[in-house]
Amino acid sequence: MSENRFAHAMLAPAGVWLLLLFAVPLGILLAVSLGETDPAYQAVYGFHPENFRDVFDPLFAPVLLRSVGYALATVVLCLLIGYPIAYYIARFGGRWKTLLIALVVLPFLVNYLVRTYAWVAILSDEGLINGILTDTGISENGVQFVNTSWAVIGGLVYGYLAFMILPLYAALDRMDPALIEAGKDLYGTRWQTFRHVTWPTAFQGVAAGCVLVFLPAVGDFISAQLLGGPDTYMVGNLIQQQFLEAQNWPFGAALTIVMMAFLLIWMLLYVRSAAGAAREADA
Amino acid sequence: MSGISRRELLERGAAGGLVLSGLGGLAGCGIGRGLQGDTDRVIEPKVDGDLYYFNYSQYINPALVRAFEEKYDVRVIQSYFDSMEGMIAKLRAGNSYDVMFPTAEYVQRLVQEEQLLRIPRDKLENIDNIYSYFDDPWYDPDSAHSVPYSLYITGIGYRADILDNMTGSWNDLANPEADGRIFVLDDYQEALAAGNLRNGYDMNTVVESELAATQDWLVGLKPLLRGFSVDTITNMASGNAWIQHLWNGDIVNIRYRVDDPDAYQFQKITQDGFPVGSDTFVIPVNAEHPGTAMLFIDFMLDPKNAARNVTWNGYPMPNRGQDETFEELAKGDPNIVVTVDDLEGGEQFANLPQEERELWTNTFLEVKAS
Repeated sequence: MSENRFAHAMLAPAGVWLLLLFAVPLGILLAVSLGETDPAYQAVYGFHPENFRDVFDPLFAPVLLRSVGYALATVVLCLLIGYPIAYYIARFGGRWKTLLIALVVLPFLVNYLVRTYAWVAILSDEGLINGILTDTGISENGVQFVNTSWAVIGGLVYGYLAFMILPLYAALDRMDPALIEAGKDLYGTRWQTFRHVTWPTAFQGVAAGCVLVFLPAVGDFISAQLLGGPDTYMVGNLIQQQFLEAQNWPFGAALTIVMMAFLLIWMLLYVRSAAGAAREADA
Repeated sequence: MSGISRRELLERGAAGGLVLSGLGGLAGCGIGRGLQGDTDRVIEPKVDGDLYYFNYSQYINPALVRAFEEKYDVRVIQSYFDSMEGMIAKLRAGNSYDVMFPTAEYVQRLVQEEQLLRIPRDKLENIDNIYSYFDDPWYDPDSAHSVPYSLYITGIGYRADILDNMTGSWNDLANPEADGRIFVLDDYQEALAAGNLRNGYDMNTVVESELAATQDWLVGLKPLLRGFSVDTITNMASGNAWIQHLWNGDIVNIRYRVDDPDAYQFQKITQDGFPVGSDTFVIPVNAEHPGTAMLFIDFMLDPKNAARNVTWNGYPMPNRGQDETFEELAKGDPNIVVTVDDLEGGEQFANLPQEERELWTNTFLEVKAS
């Protein structure tokens, strides 16, 4: 077997995996999205493109906008919180680097749902934090943390922060520290050095982190369900509601397809930017 | 229905990449058809394998499950659903369970769809303890496919230590003294039922103008609400809820969790009327171990076990064996008791046909999405 053919053969397991567990389910999803429900609430195949028209019913506009808004806020907060952490670990972590990165990943060993529930217990009106606030007299009646928009965004930030830190760390860690020294040698201030050297050099990490946080955050339903209030309904909740409560699989599938298409645009933008950066690096 | 099962579809799709190209040919085929099997299969109450159990979580005393495992030397493999719709979705996906716990109206639906085995009542030793109301209930003639498990009413849980202006109406969900500390159940049936009863309509109304008025009422509540949630016990025990739309048994569980149980009261909505319902034991038609399931049902009907169960979960069972225990449990709060009179006089959820049901789910969706 030539080396080339061997290399192709190596792709087979991944190819079969992708076909069986991604392409086929996606095809079924697409087929269901064009179906309808029969009188026994069973989804049946058919050709009903109007399911897709219903997705753009003005009723759902606030839900879709809210989801994107929450996800963007999550990305910004993750970047603001994650960048300094990644920078510190990459530049000053020294022999503790591996340990520090392990600590970032550690919460992921606990299920996201369970971690979110923990926040409910910690932040509730008679929970730990409010107990401290009222006992110390900092706040007389405590603060309502949970069941607010901020709680939902906070849950999303907490849930997906590591997706920001890891690619940022990888990018910053690869960066040659001599570049920063060179910036300073050329009389750049700290801010100028950061703006003209560090930020552009590690920009691919920023882009990857933003995409990796944005994609799951926009479709999340757990944070809104557990930490949300009466006005925090997200598209993930809507899709879940269609599959379960409404038992309208075709519409739930249509919503999913539209959302995937929307997310794909972001994914493609990222891939283009990454490919451009790779070409620049080669040149 | 001459459908293609999901597995077949998957196999074909994998083999020929047919899924996308063959859409037209699939028109009219079912996706995840109902269970197939002989509903008249004869069941003997004897161990025929481990028990695959499917229920709401926290709805049965775990000590009883362990006792059952020890008595019959079987394992109970538990899975949970959080709504009837979720239960149906799992069944449709082809999962096989030996015993599960649908509500009365879902029993009616499952019987019509031939999804349940006939339960030979004469082979259950403890069946005579069941209230005679259930000899021939509205949802399952002659109780041929189901055994009643528990009774519940929906009402309002409230903090008696904080609020002193409760009125016994669904209007209490708009109590201004609890502004921002009110939760409505995240359940389209319960939420709309509260509004319909409050507005003086038939609880199961499908008149569009009436549902629109109920929708307006619910939307009008939103500024006062803290959320829509079925996590009633956590909401109240954590102090987030001063008023919580909930089921009677929840209040018993909340009291087990807090320092000052008397502060947590259940209000029966005597002024407008309230939903009342019952949950059941059933055996799905594709059950692999129906014999063990029969033993399990009989075990739960045993008076001593029924008493242990109601003490733990707070919901009365329609079983004479637990009467005294439940009365004792409800001493401080007679409102949580559910009687046969409640069942006969109360409002029970109807099985709405698909279009009308869609009207209901969409109404509630519009409340939440607005």
